[in-house]
Amino acid sequence: MAAGKLIYGFEELGQEHKKLVGKKCANLGEMTRMGLAVPPGFAISIALYRKFARATGILEEISRQVNKLGQLKGRNIAVFDELSQKIRGIIEGKEMPPEISKAIASYYEGLSKKVGATDVAVSLRSAGTASRPGMFESYLNIIGIEDVLDKIKKVWSSAYTARAIAFRINKGVPVMGDELGIAVAKMVNARSSGISFTVDPLTGDTSRVIIDANWGLGVGVVSGTGSVDKFVVDKETLKIVKTSIGKKTKQVIARKRGVGWGEVPVKKQKVPCLSNQEIVAVAKLAILLEEHLGQPQDIEWAIDADSPPTKNISPLQTRPAKVAAQRKESVTDRMLDLMVDKFYRP
Amino acid sequence: MAKKKQLKAKIWDEAPGYDYIAEIDLPEMRSWFLDGTHSIPPLTPLYGYQWVRFCGHGLKFACTELSIPTCRGWELRFLRGGIYCAFHIVRDKKEIAQREVRFRQALRPWLEDFEGLWSGYRQELLGIYAKLRELDVDNATNLQLHHHNYDLMQAYMRMWEIHFVGMYASYNAWLLLEAMTKERFGLSDQDPQFQDMVRGFDNKIYQMDKKMWQFGQLAIRMGLEDVFKKNKPQSILGKLQQSAKGKEWFKQLMDYMETDDVGGWRMRRSTDLNEPYWLEDPGTPIGLVKDNVMRGLSYNLEATRAEMAKKREAAIADFLKKVPAGEKELFQGLIRLSGKASSYSEEHDLYCELMVQALMRRGYLAMGRRLAEKGAIDKPDDIFMLNPDEIDRVIMVPEGHDMRWLTRRRRAAWKEWHKKPNPAVLTERASPEKAVKLDLLPSGDAVAIKTIIGEMPQPMPKLKADLRGICGCAGEVEGKARVVVRYEDLKKVKAGEILVCPGINPAWTPVFGLVNGVITDTGGTLSHAAIIGREYGLPTIVNTQKGTAKLKSGQRVKMDATNGAVYIVNKQTGKG
Repeated sequence: MAAGKLIYGFEELGQEHKKLVGKKCANLGEMTRMGLAVPPGFAISIALYRKFARATGILEEISRQVNKLGQLKGRNIAVFDELSQKIRGIIEGKEMPPEISKAIASYYEGLSKKVGATDVAVSLRSAGTASRPGMFESYLNIIGIEDVLDKIKKVWSSAYTARAIAFRINKGVPVMGDELGIAVAKMVNARSSGISFTVDPLTGDTSRVIIDANWGLGVGVVSGTGSVDKFVVDKETLKIVKTSIGKKTKQVIARKRGVGWGEVPVKKQKVPCLSNQEIVAVAKLAILLEEHLGQPQDIEWAIDADSPPTKNISPLQTRPAKVAAQRKESVTDRMLDLMVDKFYRP
Repeated sequence: MAKKKQLKAKIWDEAPGYDYIAEIDLPEMRSWFLDGTHSIPPLTPLYGYQWVRFCGHGLKFACTELSIPTCRGWELRFLRGGIYCAFHIVRDKKEIAQREVRFRQALRPWLEDFEGLWSGYRQELLGIYAKLRELDVDNATNLQLHHHNYDLMQAYMRMWEIHFVGMYASYNAWLLLEAMTKERFGLSDQDPQFQDMVRGFDNKIYQMDKKMWQFGQLAIRMGLEDVFKKNKPQSILGKLQQSAKGKEWFKQLMDYMETDDVGGWRMRRSTDLNEPYWLEDPGTPIGLVKDNVMRGLSYNLEATRAEMAKKREAAIADFLKKVPAGEKELFQGLIRLSGKASSYSEEHDLYCELMVQALMRRGYLAMGRRLAEKGAIDKPDDIFMLNPDEIDRVIMVPEGHDMRWLTRRRRAAWKEWHKKPNPAVLTERASPEKAVKLDLLPSGDAVAIKTIIGEMPQPMPKLKADLRGICGCAGEVEGKARVVVRYEDLKKVKAGEILVCPGINPAWTPVFGLVNGVITDTGGTLSHAAIIGREYGLPTIVNTQKGTAKLKSGQRVKMDATNGAVYIVNKQTGKG
């Protein structure tokens, strides 16, 4: 990588760049390299955040706020709330230095040109170097450079939500220990979206792919609210071994700007949001990623309504799957759990 | 309500407090299920009394000690020589959750060190038995015999406590492995591949079988082959006494029976007291030796066994290849544990029922002789027609009593019970199926579901089988049926036949070396017949319900054990 380079196209990145741009961006790069239908985009490196921090002097300001409070461990959540508000205010209140905004703007324009739009709608997702699933903020359907720059600051500042601060303090990580890269990618016009696990997160069964899906954008599935469609595919035979169609009354859809919850038309509520071919294709994608990355994966994907059927499955992120049953417990504990669960729960 | 019950209740008979009284017991428990494995043939009153009291206690003990979440214990009742079971089901979710916490604590040591715990309990039992054996029952005073009655009951009660704690622990392990292999790999415990993984272990049953094989080899090498080959088991002993070699051989057999930790203290049949134990009648082990002599010197039991162990290791390795890395440790642990469970299932009968009952038979027969000498009963084995309280009443002053009014009446009744089978279910529910669904299955009780009641075969009309059951051990075989309902008839079994019987206990193992297949009326995949069938690699079908009724001795039958299907060949050729 060229020294001094602070922004990278996904196609320039791979797994080896986790420290440079955060895990999410590195994995998007890796998937792009694999030839998967990753939406085009670019990664804002962690170094760029540092440059922003240095140029604006926020680090000193944040330190002052933190030091004022003294010992933080065990403090009331209200203290973290107040600290969070102050720090996020500091970050979001800073003007983006012109050098940085120019660089970002050029990548944003490049992306717009590439997809043939004036102002391409993008998603901005946080990308840290440590695994903090769901802890930081993402912004979807952001249009125009002004808004993009604004949301970039918001993603950065989301490293200081009360929850994130409390988490770091409890884990003994420095308060300023999370610095975020950002993946800026073209918004997918998602007809349906979902997540797939190449290991059953509840039982640890690795012989199947578990798929949850809903109409619209993936946030609707990830947030875990409302019922969704569930599919289980056998990895070896690629047969759909289990299907459960949820009554999907709500979906997340793109508004003029941003996204929001909307009603699912009654006609579509009880209809599977994926065709059988799509289910198998989603499973194949998951298996491919697991094999390529060498461990069970948790993948977010969308069915792109604007792409031809064979190329319409876009991976939006992938990460090592967290399995409840893989928590450190002895075989005896697992046997006891399973016995109680299988034999004695009427 | 209590007053009404009092008016209706009849007087207890064979098993005071535990005789089945429909007016009282039906409203209380709703449904009662016949323990078919242990109720055919009908139990003698003495044994029936001991069983309902102490086996029932053992089940409650185990359900309490292990805190089985959904079952507080079983209730047993005695009716016409049959044992009926009902279940104290826990239906309140909160209570189940509370019991669950203790269940985990109580079961954990068994999962971590099954062999260690079982070996400790085994030692405890052997200690109890050694103490019982110290009494010279023939020269004991009446007072000593009176005490012995209580010592025997105490021993029998403790035996059942240990028996069921071990059994619940082992069944939970087995059932979990079965559920997991079925769910993940579509492999049920009726599948050959599953069965191959949990057999061929070294345990006491095998060690004793091996000893009988070695005595067979010894007899051939000592030039006694013809004595065994040409005589019936009962007359072999007399012939052996006619030669120095024969005497020497028999002395070695007796040495083994007297010095081994189980040895000759082994009942021929695990239920009831009315058949001899080995030391009492060496004809039983001699019959086993005879079977081995017939097989000749070239028959190598150890090699067969080693082959099975090799096959087991290969089957496990093969299976584990299918198991994803993250699950390997779990499945390895489960397979290892299930092997222990399977071994326990096989050998616990020796240390539990077969041994304590040999001592009970010895003690009670001595009491019987004491009573018969004084004319209180007609003959020593009439003692089996009395219950321990009645024995207690007369044993101190036998000459002051005449109990024949009771023993004769009871013996006549007992004979009568043989004529008509007990119904499988007594219930006030609409149907037996409803009874099973409402009053048995919710107990979640592994022992009840897996052994006593057994699973029912999936209907498969396409097979066009004459009889269906559950696969105990996979395989196909054709041969002449031999229907055996009583142990005495076991001696009629010839090599190559297919044994058809109500149910089986380890005392029947001798014929497993002889027959080519086994079909039983009762039992599940963990019943004795299935376990022993697997050990011997014999096609075995269990829980056919009506095998002994439908099949006739001499009929040619074909077994497709893998599918639990039996075909009557005669009938088919007759048609064609």
